[in-house]
Amino acid sequence: MPQITASYATSQPKKAAGSRASRTIAIWQSRQVLNLLVGRDLKVKYQSSLLGYAWSLLEPLALAGIYFFVFGLIFNTRALPEGVDAPGGYILYLIAGILPWMWFSTVLSDSTRSLMSQAKLITTMKVPREIFPLATVCTKGVEYLLTLPILALFALGSGGQWTWNLLYLPLAVVLQFVFLLGVALLLSSITVVLRDVQRIMRIVSRVLFYATPLLYPAHMLLESDRFPEWFKVVYEANPIVGIIELHHAVWFPMLVPPGPYLASTVVGTLLIFALGWWTFRRLEPAVLKEL
Amino acid sequence: MAEPIIQARDIGVKFAINRRRKLSTRELFIHGFRRQPKGEFWALRDLSFDIAPGDCVGIIGRNGTGKSTLLKVIAGVLMPDEGSVAVHGRVAPLLELRAGFSNDLTGRENIRLVGSLHGMSQRMLDERFDEIVEFSEVGDFIDTPVKHYSSGMRVRLGFALISQLEHPIMLVDEVLAVGDRAFKKKCYDAIEKMLAGGRTMVLVSHNDSDLKRFCNRGLYIKAGRMEVDGTLKEALETYHADSDSDTKKAKAKAAGTAPAKKDGEAKGAAAGNGAKPAGSAAKEDAAKDGAAADDAAKEKERAQGTAG
Repeated sequence: MPQITASYATSQPKKAAGSRASRTIAIWQSRQVLNLLVGRDLKVKYQSSLLGYAWSLLEPLALAGIYFFVFGLIFNTRALPEGVDAPGGYILYLIAGILPWMWFSTVLSDSTRSLMSQAKLITTMKVPREIFPLATVCTKGVEYLLTLPILALFALGSGGQWTWNLLYLPLAVVLQFVFLLGVALLLSSITVVLRDVQRIMRIVSRVLFYATPLLYPAHMLLESDRFPEWFKVVYEANPIVGIIELHHAVWFPMLVPPGPYLASTVVGTLLIFALGWWTFRRLEPAVLKEL
Repeated sequence: MAEPIIQARDIGVKFAINRRRKLSTRELFIHGFRRQPKGEFWALRDLSFDIAPGDCVGIIGRNGTGKSTLLKVIAGVLMPDEGSVAVHGRVAPLLELRAGFSNDLTGRENIRLVGSLHGMSQRMLDERFDEIVEFSEVGDFIDTPVKHYSSGMRVRLGFALISQLEHPIMLVDEVLAVGDRAFKKKCYDAIEKMLAGGRTMVLVSHNDSDLKRFCNRGLYIKAGRMEVDGTLKEALETYHADSDSDTKKAKAKAAGTAPAKKDGEAKGAAAGNGAKPAGSAAKEDAAKDGAAADDAAKEKERAQGTAG
């Protein structure tokens, strides 16, 4: 019989590097648990409501519809660089950004609860606790992937161009996954010791919605002289901006981010991930006591 | 002696006193960080022991002395602030009278979820499902959400599931106190079978006869420290001697302050166990002679109170 050895928490972190590796292995070994958690969440969501799958489409579609109505029709926006003539037009621009945005915003709001809502499981059995925020990100990720057919439909309907730029999509999804995992690790652990985070995130999410090029292309802001330089730097430093730009680049070649900016997005994403991981490990003992 | 299966070295777990409410940013802004209460309370301190494979260890001690906390540390659901615990093998825990069931899911779904979380394969679950349901005696309620279960049913289902796990270590916290006579009998048989199969077991109980029946070793924990680590008999004797003298002291004190008798008793009991936060702990101590089932419930309440 294989001997599984679990050894945890000495006050002196003797083998920090070793424990990080073993931690990752432990998470990998619990992938069955992860499948189970994600499967359960999806099942609950799609079984408990009549419209099931349709609900996950309705919200982003309603959002896109509203913004198209307000900005596309009423303001008659010419937001895209090539004006209304860009293949796909404003409606495809909206859809291509809002679908992945839903993944961002649902993780921002749900990950604050991913440890607290599972308190019963966490306090009675030993599983790597990282599994729970990871499950939140995966569940929402699956929901996002399930909305991709809608994106394809809109691309077809609005005359979007199918090019090699499609390869930006997997890159964007991977970056977004890593970024959101960092965010989920950070938020899930902090919320347990600092409950207000849950409320704050609602505001933060709203701010980020407008601080991300979802309704307007980023260059409109960056080329404008109404904003100070530092503001533009802060704006661009947000990895979400870069990731959303990648989602747009799939359909609009002129929006492909330049190499250095892409690199800074990758670095920013990894930094957020590292911060989330580190915070989670630091807070874990306190979190277990609080739950 | 064989290589120990559980090895604890100088473990200490501390909780903050006075943190009744969760820290909120509002308080943070108003009071700043300096208002953070500095009071700490060691639920466990300097605890070291080895448990050999096949041992059945009974942990005894009064309410609030850290028995459940110790089980949680062994189970790995609480990280010690000091020292280390090495556990060689998987652990099947039944802590705080629950197996980690989610209230909204039915018994059937919970068995599947918790079972697989504990590493049971799909096939194993299929094979043993009927046996688990039969053992738990929940019958037709298996498709009812667990929130509608009585506490006895919940514990029975939890025990039925956990006892099916083939993990080499089993932790049991106060389960035996809850079931009725018939179920107890079944539990005894199941535990005896597991022990005969070479399982290592750690029991927390207030029932001497249960402990005497199974345990070859006893750990008596007093105010978070190891008082006796020896045979069960030694541990129980010391424990009884201690609680008798505590009761006498409390009575003496209560007699001294006759008019406020109830209050005095509570205070006296609290004084007998100085290392605990006041308030809820004192209340519990006053009621410490309650039935075992009551004790279990309070133990749970205390754990939540301290943690929260």
